[in-house]
Amino acid sequence: MQLLPKNFDNRESLTDFVAALAPWAAGGPSHIQGGRQSAEKMLARVDPVAYGRTRNFGDGKITGLSPYIHHGILSLNEVRNHALSRCGEPVQITKFLQELAWRDFWQRLLSAHPEWAWDDIEPYKTGFSASDYAGVLPADIADGKTGVACIDAFIKELIQTGYVHNHARMYLASYVVHFRRVKWQAGAQWFLHHLLDGDLASNNFSWQWVASTFSHKPYLFNLENVSKYFGRQVDASPQNNQPLHASYETLQEQLFPNLSRSL
Amino acid sequence: MNPALICLHEDALRITHPIFKFAPTGTKAIYVWDDEYLRRANYSLKRLVFLYETLCDLPVDVVRGATRTVVMAMTPAMLYVPATNNPSLLSLFAGISPATPLTFVDDDIFAVMEKTSEARRFFQYWSKVERSAFLHNGGALA
Ligand SMILES: Cc1cc2nc3c(=O)[nH]c(=O)nc-3n(C[C@H](O)[C@H](O)[C@H](O)COP(=O)(O)OP(=O)(O)OC[C@H]3O[C@@H](n4cnc5c(N)ncnc54)[C@H](O)[C@@H]3O)c2cc1C
Repeated sequence: MQLLPKNFDNRESLTDFVAALAPWAAGGPSHIQGGRQSAEKMLARVDPVAYGRTRNFGDGKITGLSPYIHHGILSLNEVRNHALSRCGEPVQITKFLQELAWRDFWQRLLSAHPEWAWDDIEPYKTGFSASDYAGVLPADIADGKTGVACIDAFIKELIQTGYVHNHARMYLASYVVHFRRVKWQAGAQWFLHHLLDGDLASNNFSWQWVASTFSHKPYLFNLENVSKYFGRQVDASPQNNQPLHASYETLQEQLFPNLSRSL
Repeated sequence: MNPALICLHEDALRITHPIFKFAPTGTKAIYVWDDEYLRRANYSLKRLVFLYETLCDLPVDVVRGATRTVVMAMTPAMLYVPATNNPSLLSLFAGISPATPLTFVDDDIFAVMEKTSEARRFFQYWSKVERSAFLHNGGALA
């Protein structure tokens, strides 16, 4: 039993100290800092009204609060109360409150069904069964070397910062499960390793939602969608993103051939 | 036997958590840096640095050791732990009780469910909490 120090000259010495405590832990620190003070600074910047209009865009007014909410540094209640104080009419922040509610919803589900965390809640609705999916994440995905430019950019962000925009998380999960036919569990584990907000309920149920084991249909995206929402952040050129450069109909046929056959 | 002890964990790292009002005034609070727990969770270094920075901001002792050993050595008459749905944390604390009586303390609520029946899809759930979600403190507290 050892009392650990809490005062460090700088972030580098804190990082060195943590690395020595956990020599098994891979990688370096994120630029995102922990602690209540950082959380309060982020909270002060929240614009819950603009959020509703812009949240799906790579440069939208998202909050970056999830690492603080996941660790209970901020409560959902506190964030909601703050947002209410930043709008004229509560109805202006409906979208923001709904997104907070998604977290509450997933938390309640996990409390009621802890066994759902790693089990398929429902069968895949992709025309495939679970045994058709690989159980291990391919190394090129883990390393961000898939050769699909936008996907590699999102993975790089995941590895370096431990934070990825919600829309990009959906792309990554869809790419892993549907374009590469890998079990959602392998992707979920990979996210939990890296994400500063890595949260069993929000993460695993979101993966299941994308995979279709907890939704009516698989979530698919194409390059046009990436270009619309992240065209200013990542390389969304057709030549560097070939597998994604197709219409939804074509992708649906390519990725879920058994479904087309049964129509 | 010592008085009560609050043991925080990675899901509840703030001093305004209701546990600090629920436990008797002056109850000592700790966070246990449990190497084995963190190694098994397989967190990257950036996650651990974020966690450690958060702990440095909190006015609680950070003690390194196995959670069960640390808590048992302090022989608290009652252990208070923030409620969690994280199965790994639950099994960690399950190893401490029944030797030490344990109370889980809920966080502030976000919204009150109008009907308690389970909602399987988000919009079923939303229809039951919507009214409360728009209210300060979910309309639940004074
Ligand atoms: C595959 C996948 C994995 C995910 N893994 C996690 C995870 O491990 N931890 C996690 O907290 N969220 C997870 N999410 C949900 C969501 O992506 C993040 O909460 C959000 O991107 C965090 O960024 P932010 O704080 O800037 O969010 P904002 O858009 O600014 O939202 C504010 C807060 O609302 C909550 N929230 C917003 N969107 C969602 C959502 N779709 N589901 C649940 N809560 C939401 C979060 O607490 C968030 O901090 C995942 C989503 C997907 C698609």
